[in-house]
Amino acid sequence: MRIRNWVAVVGALAVVVLVPPLLTSGADTTASLRSLRVLVPNAPGGGYDITARTAAKAMEDAELIRNTEVFNLPGAGGTVGLGRTVNERGNGKLVMSMGLGVVGSVYTNKAPSSLLDTTPIAKLIEEPDIVVVGRDSPYRTLDELVRAWRANPGEVTVGGGSSPGGPDHLAPMLIAKAVGLDPRRVNYIPYDGGGELLASVLGGKVAFGVSGVGEYRDQIEAGQLRVLAVTSGARLPGVDAPTLRESGVDVEFNNWRGVVAPPGITDADRARLVDLFTDLHGTPQWREALTRNGWTDAFAPGDEFGAFLREENDRVAAVLKDLGLA
Amino acid sequence: MHEAVNKPLSRAWLRERSELGVSAVLVALGVLVLVDAIRIHTDFAQRGPVGPKAVPIVVGVGLIVVAALLARDVLRGGRGEAEGGEDVDLSAPADWRTVLLLCGAFLANAALIGVVGFPISGAILFWGAAYALGSRDFVRDPLLAAGLSVATFVLFNNLLGVPLPGGPLVGMF
Amino acid sequence: MDSFNNLLEGFATALTPTHLALAALGVLLGTAIGVLPGIGPAMAVALLLPVTYGLEPTGAFIMFAGIYYGGMFGGSTTSILLNTPGESASVVAAIDGNPMARKGRGSQALAAAAIGHFVGGIIGTVLLVLLAPTVAKFAVDIGAPDFFAIMVLAFIAVTSVLGASRVRGFASLLIGLTIGLVGLDEMTGQQRLTFGSLHLADGIDVVVVAVALFAVGESLWVAAHLRRKPGRPIPVDRAFLGREDWRRSWKPWLRGPVIGFPFGAIPAGGAEIPTFLSYVAEKRLSKHREEFGKGAIEGVAGPEATASASAAGTLVSMLTLGLPTTAVAAVMLAAFQQYGIQPGPLLFERESALVWGLIASLFIGLCLLLVLNLPLAPVWAKLLRIPRPYLYAGILFFASVGAYAVNADVFDLLVMFVIGVLGFVMRRYGLPVLPAIIGVILGPAAEQQMRRALQLSDGSLTGLVNTPFALVVYGIVVVLLLWPLLHRLFRKPTPPTEASPEPERPKVDA
Repeated sequence: MRIRNWVAVVGALAVVVLVPPLLTSGADTTASLRSLRVLVPNAPGGGYDITARTAAKAMEDAELIRNTEVFNLPGAGGTVGLGRTVNERGNGKLVMSMGLGVVGSVYTNKAPSSLLDTTPIAKLIEEPDIVVVGRDSPYRTLDELVRAWRANPGEVTVGGGSSPGGPDHLAPMLIAKAVGLDPRRVNYIPYDGGGELLASVLGGKVAFGVSGVGEYRDQIEAGQLRVLAVTSGARLPGVDAPTLRESGVDVEFNNWRGVVAPPGITDADRARLVDLFTDLHGTPQWREALTRNGWTDAFAPGDEFGAFLREENDRVAAVLKDLGLA
Repeated sequence: MHEAVNKPLSRAWLRERSELGVSAVLVALGVLVLVDAIRIHTDFAQRGPVGPKAVPIVVGVGLIVVAALLARDVLRGGRGEAEGGEDVDLSAPADWRTVLLLCGAFLANAALIGVVGFPISGAILFWGAAYALGSRDFVRDPLLAAGLSVATFVLFNNLLGVPLPGGPLVGMF
Repeated sequence: MDSFNNLLEGFATALTPTHLALAALGVLLGTAIGVLPGIGPAMAVALLLPVTYGLEPTGAFIMFAGIYYGGMFGGSTTSILLNTPGESASVVAAIDGNPMARKGRGSQALAAAAIGHFVGGIIGTVLLVLLAPTVAKFAVDIGAPDFFAIMVLAFIAVTSVLGASRVRGFASLLIGLTIGLVGLDEMTGQQRLTFGSLHLADGIDVVVVAVALFAVGESLWVAAHLRRKPGRPIPVDRAFLGREDWRRSWKPWLRGPVIGFPFGAIPAGGAEIPTFLSYVAEKRLSKHREEFGKGAIEGVAGPEATASASAAGTLVSMLTLGLPTTAVAAVMLAAFQQYGIQPGPLLFERESALVWGLIASLFIGLCLLLVLNLPLAPVWAKLLRIPRPYLYAGILFFASVGAYAVNADVFDLLVMFVIGVLGFVMRRYGLPVLPAIIGVILGPAAEQQMRRALQLSDGSLTGLVNTPFALVVYGIVVVLLLWPLLHRLFRKPTPPTEASPEPERPKVDA
């Protein structure tokens, strides 16, 4: 009897120890650089997730890489995933999909690791924000809006699709600063994503909204929304609105997404990753994905991205410090 | 509450009124919430009469008030009725050994999952829990645990693409 | 009758063999994955997104619709059988569904849930066809003060689930509110009760709280008092609903959509609050009030129909406004964008065939779901016949996988354990579990809407009452409050107020 028990226990142990490696060896991550893991620091369906999955699929379709594995590690505005990336020091087969939102989250969450600890690989895309009002809004131009805003910042409420520290929060704060309005006096109302904000703008609950242009194209075309300005440096095709600079507000602001790798990877690993994303940028599959998703190409590899990241970090830190959030 | 003070604080007395412990926990929780709320700076970013502090303060005060009311109820002889159920035999005294074994199985999984991987730690959880609850079939239990754990691992990791740690040998073949 | 013609064309699209097969596949996959721990419908749709890459858009969305409804149904299956809700919409179904299953009426509970899903889904989808443009316009007008008024109403409704001892019910509610406070403040981004931990910055998910309080707490409690008599397996009753079950269920099935559909359609509506309101409404209206919490079939039928109708409501604002009101809708929106389609006011014109094909396939998916799941109900229910040690070991295993798989983080297991121990203590001292769950759901939502409303009015308190809708809701609240209060005033000289209820002796039930 005892022997039977031992045989069962040993059998069970054999099963749990041996079966998983046998089944996963094909998709193994240590095999070669032909495989890559992509960490997504927010939930499935979120912005970084879609970018990561689209990029992974384009790489595989273009046969730049044999195997990519996209996995989600959401939490605290992306800083949980960032912490993990920083802890994977030296791992040359991992990248994290990220963007401007993570920069602010590091401050609002008082996260121990910063994006400056990571190895920048590439900036991929940009999405400008728009300053938008409902069809029935009294404001016809940005100038009218700014005048009313300066006169009464409390009642001229601004809605955004991100929590404090996120892109939609930073944009109106930068605008306020540029027009001589103390950011602390701005009455910013955070909504749970661009969708919920859209309802508030359409329903006239907030005086104006600031959010990414992507989700709103249809409503703009249908005439339900009026765009007073775009935050990018140049006008946007299909959106009949001036840039902030053209309207006399000296601010240029874009939400962006890119990829970073863990710190301490070898130069060879870094070069390979930068090359991989540079190659991705050249593929027709990626071009097609850009048009399909309405993303603006904003490719910047390696060091160029690193310099940009430092600049953005300083800019975000300055705004949040003004507000007491950093 | 006066009558309570006069009674001797004997073990039996406390045992009878162990629900006072719930009051104590509620007070502790309330104090924790209040201290945390006071720590929040509201000199910036707050607009209007209700800032990030207001609701925690209401909740914290509420916890303390409810704790006091509960204590009063207990001292007056009120008792929370333990929950019954199909599998629960309230006439038997609490079986702490089983509870601790079960907690052990659960925490073992949490502690080991990152070290030895999910297939092993999950099997330990299942077998440990079954053992704690009185199953003593040393052939069927481990095999069932191993089978369930590996099947779950394969389903999540290989078929659905939700990665679970596979264990020390992953990548050796 | 334009919609009607379009719908007929939609059926023509959806009823082709390929699309029918895709719908069936979606329903099966959705149910199978929805049953898995930690994977709700949003996750199911997200995970299966790649499967559909090869399909043309119409086929892909027909499959999605199947996955969505299948996933929701799968979630309530585990909720009823194992007391481990897979997603927030099925938390309420566990309250009475699980006791039913424990009494050997698991197949009835599952059947009530399945038919509830079917009825709620069909009514919801019919409303979607008839009312989509109207509802969409209305949804935009609902703002923060209106939400807050609804929350106040919901808090009043909580008093009817506090249990026999009010003070213990309030203690439980406050524990729930405390758990709800954890995380970054949504309005100002400041940390509350996070103790500097990033893991707590997003707060504690209501599903984790529900699984911990229900499943882990229950397992520990059973362990402490396990009935050691020779194991009588849980009996599995006749396969189907009896006459009495039908009599008690049909009204909740029909009432559910009335609550669920509008909530689904409005932004920030979701399914948690309407399912809870449906539960409370059914309890108030039922002749079997004392059975609630112990296996009342109305407590499963109503909330499940509500959840399903709310899913249909979600599609209204997603298709007509491009407004994702739930996580699933957000994932589906992303899927639409993958195909270069932007849902919004122009969708019905631009992609008419696709939209109506999708709507028709919702009807088909619901029918398939019912056909597949009714016969399966008794089979699932037999799951509970396995010996107790395996059953509870399985529940703990299941709960752990669910908590871990989502974030791959041991911290979540520890949170679950701590709240599970709390659930154990609450059971020991007769603190009802339900108010705590309600506190976690309502607390953060109510606070956010109240503060948003006040901020919109720049701090003026009138901001809370400046819409007709809010005033109507407050009117209802006042009537509800005054009625029993007046009643009591004549009987007892000291009317209990919200904050200091007269402690009552717990004698009847817990």
